[in-house]
Order: sequence, then C-alpha cells, then structure tokens
Amino acid sequence: MFLSVGVRFEANVEALNMVETAGNYGKHRRVPYLVEEDGKLKTVYVPAISGESLAHAYQEHLVREALSAGLPVCDDCQRGEFYKSMNKVHLGKKVNPIPDDPKAIEEAIVKACVVEDVGGFLYAEKPPVRRSSAFQVSYALPVKSVALFATSEPQLHARHAQMDASSKKGNASEQMIYYVETGTALYGFTFNLDLDAVGVSAITSKPVLDGDEIKKRREVSLKALFRMLSSSQFGAKLSRFFPVGGITELVVAVTDHPFVVTSPIYDDYIEKTKRRLEVLKSFGEESFLVVAGEEKVPEEALKEAIDYLNEKGAF
Amino acid sequence: MVETEYEGIVKMLRFFVQTKNFSYVDRIGNALNPEPVEVTLLEALRAFRSIRESASIGGDGRRYVEKDGNKIPVPGIPSDEEVKKFLDDVRSDMGVAKLVATLALSYPSKKENSGGDEWCF
Ligand SMILES: [Zn+2]
Repeated sequence: MFLSVGVRFEANVEALNMVETAGNYGKHRRVPYLVEEDGKLKTVYVPAISGESLAHAYQEHLVREALSAGLPVCDDCQRGEFYKSMNKVHLGKKVNPIPDDPKAIEEAIVKACVVEDVGGFLYAEKPPVRRSSAFQVSYALPVKSVALFATSEPQLHARHAQMDASSKKGNASEQMIYYVETGTALYGFTFNLDLDAVGVSAITSKPVLDGDEIKKRREVSLKALFRMLSSSQFGAKLSRFFPVGGITELVVAVTDHPFVVTSPIYDDYIEKTKRRLEVLKSFGEESFLVVAGEEKVPEEALKEAIDYLNEKGAF
Repeated sequence: MVETEYEGIVKMLRFFVQTKNFSYVDRIGNALNPEPVEVTLLEALRAFRSIRESASIGGDGRRYVEKDGNKIPVPGIPSDEEVKKFLDDVRSDMGVAKLVATLALSYPSKKENSGGDEWCF
C-alpha cells in the first residue's frame, strides 16, 4: 500500500528553515521559483523549507511513536542524530562483529532500528550497503498562484545587558542588535510513504521481520505523520517564531501501488488528483481519497485514511 | 593579480571561499540568467557587511576574522560603480559572471595572504 499526502499550510512570520548566519544577520532559506506573469515565465526568489528539514522532523516523531509502541530505535536515532549506521563506528553499536554480507548488514540494521528501516541509511564502508527511504518528502514551497505575495523580511531584535562604566569591557555594547529573516507564505508540500517497503529488504525484496512487527512499524510510521502535521512540530526556531497559521487544506490518497497526489502548489490539485485516480480505477485498481478543507479538519482526514488502511489489513 | 574591472567583487567572493562558504561563488558561477546573479550579489553584499562590521581589527589596522585558527583578512566592500557595472555587464553577457566566479576560486597571483587589501576602491 502506498500513501501520498498533499499539504497546504499558511505560515505567517515563520523562521522554519534558516540557512546561515553572517555576523548579526540570520537568513531564511530561499529558492528560485518559476511563475507566470502576463503570459511570460519569470524567476522569483521565494522563502522555502527544505525536504531535509521536514524529513528530520518526521523522523523525530517516528522515534517517539516507535518508543511508545515498544519498538526498537538505536541510541543515535533516539538522540535525534540520524547518522544511520554510516560507518563501522556507528554500525558496531548495533551488530558486533560486523558481518561481511550486505544482506546480513541490512537485516541487522533494520531489526535494530525503526528509523533506519523507514528512513533508509547509507553504510559507506566495504561492502557499502544502501537502503532507500520508505518515505519521501518535497520542499515546502509557496503556492504558485500567490507566490508573488510570499515575502521574507528581516525583523530587528535586540538583547540588552545592564552594564555600568566599571563592568564595560572594550567596545562591548549594552545592546546586541540582530536580524532574523522571517518568511510569510501559503506553503505546499508532498509526503509519500511506501508501506510495502517497511520491514522488507531492499536487496532481496523479502521481509526481514515477522508480519506482526511489520504491521506495528507501519502503524507507528503513520502515527508519526499524523503527529507531525497535527502538532506543527517541524522546522526550526519554534520557540520564538512559531508560525502563525496552520493547515488550510490536505489530501490523502491511498493506493495499492505507488501514486503521488498532484502537487498542492497548483490551485487545481484536488480536482486533478481525483481525475487521475479515476483513470487508475478504470484499470481496476482500488484507491482511497480524502480531502480536508472547509468541512473536514486535517486530523479527521488523516484518521479516515488510517482507518481505511486498517480495514485493508495494512496493520 | 589578474586585473579585472570587478576586483572588489572578486575579492569579496574570494573571502567567502576562504571561509569555506562556497554558496555565493557557486550560485554566481552556475547562474543561467541574470536574476540569480543579482539576488546572489545582494545577499553576498548584505552578509559581507555584517561580517565586516563584527570583524576584529588587528595591530596593523586591518580587519580579519578567525576560521579554524587562521586569520583571514576581510577585504573592502566593492564600490557602487563596480557593482553597477558588473550587473549591467552580466545582463548583456553571462560569461562575465562565470569569469568573476572562476577568478574568485583561483589563487591570486600576487601573494598577499589572500583576501586582499583593506581598501580596494
Ligand atoms: Zn537508528
């Protein structure tokens, strides 16, 4: 089973993805973006949130959900440091002595850690072993039709210190002035989850875990997505720049084989997704689609998708 | 050092290269049209000003920043005429952007512990 989610969310005054600090200036991530104006294409620079940032957040939620379900998560991943068995030092903590056979290495890692099972890893030693992530996530980018209204604006902040003449050292100032670039936009992103890849070897395509364990892991990977979207716990600087806004629309498609919803950066993405699924249906493929917008809240839509998967025996 | 009309910009980009920040020089060198060059130069100048203002001043009066134990001199801010000429030239010939980025990645032929002079107007 394959799950694909398109999310639109409004974020005012956010600093979800900062890229670099130069002196006292903290910059928001920005990307070039094609927009059409008066029949002509042009490039504009818009605030964006990287897929890495969203993937990191998802995996942090996955750690929590896995642990509360009593499933294994390795020590590195538990700390939110997703090295993913990249070398002998990290792999040695999971399996010792390290086997020579790539299949045995993959099996050991998958068994030891849900995050590396679902999120993939790259063991860069001899022999190298690579496992693709079962989940995929796009950058979050402004919705096309309103991209020209997206902004990134530096906001001035200051920290004060009480200093009298005797405690003042050199040219230290009583105020530290700094700028934080904040973004404001209606963002869209896509999240896919291939449930068939969970607990299954990327090398042999055979399960490396028993059926019950696989079902539990599928369930926690869905719960992690639910929690991430429901709690808005993704991105950086939440302590002082928690974005003002929330999810405005969301679609979830569940199909037997890979199918990705039309990107929510397009205004007609819900309609397009429906039409595309109709075609699949005409080939005899079953599918499920749920939309959250004015009538349904995102949690209700996600719950319906999870219930559907449950009925279909995915977990 | 090879003379170009954009010495100040080359020195500024070279400073970023020395501090292991390749993003500006890569974006300018890889740009396919003038817009990314304009945006990158704006961002680079903004960041450079901030870095320059918070840089330490050495005994010789020059500004420098420390990176991994090395003292890297901070060159002057490119002049407005130079910036304008560069952007005008980029609009008519993208090769100019590539040249500037390539020079910034090279060693300056005159040994000067790199980074360049304090002032380069
Ligand atoms: Zn792990």
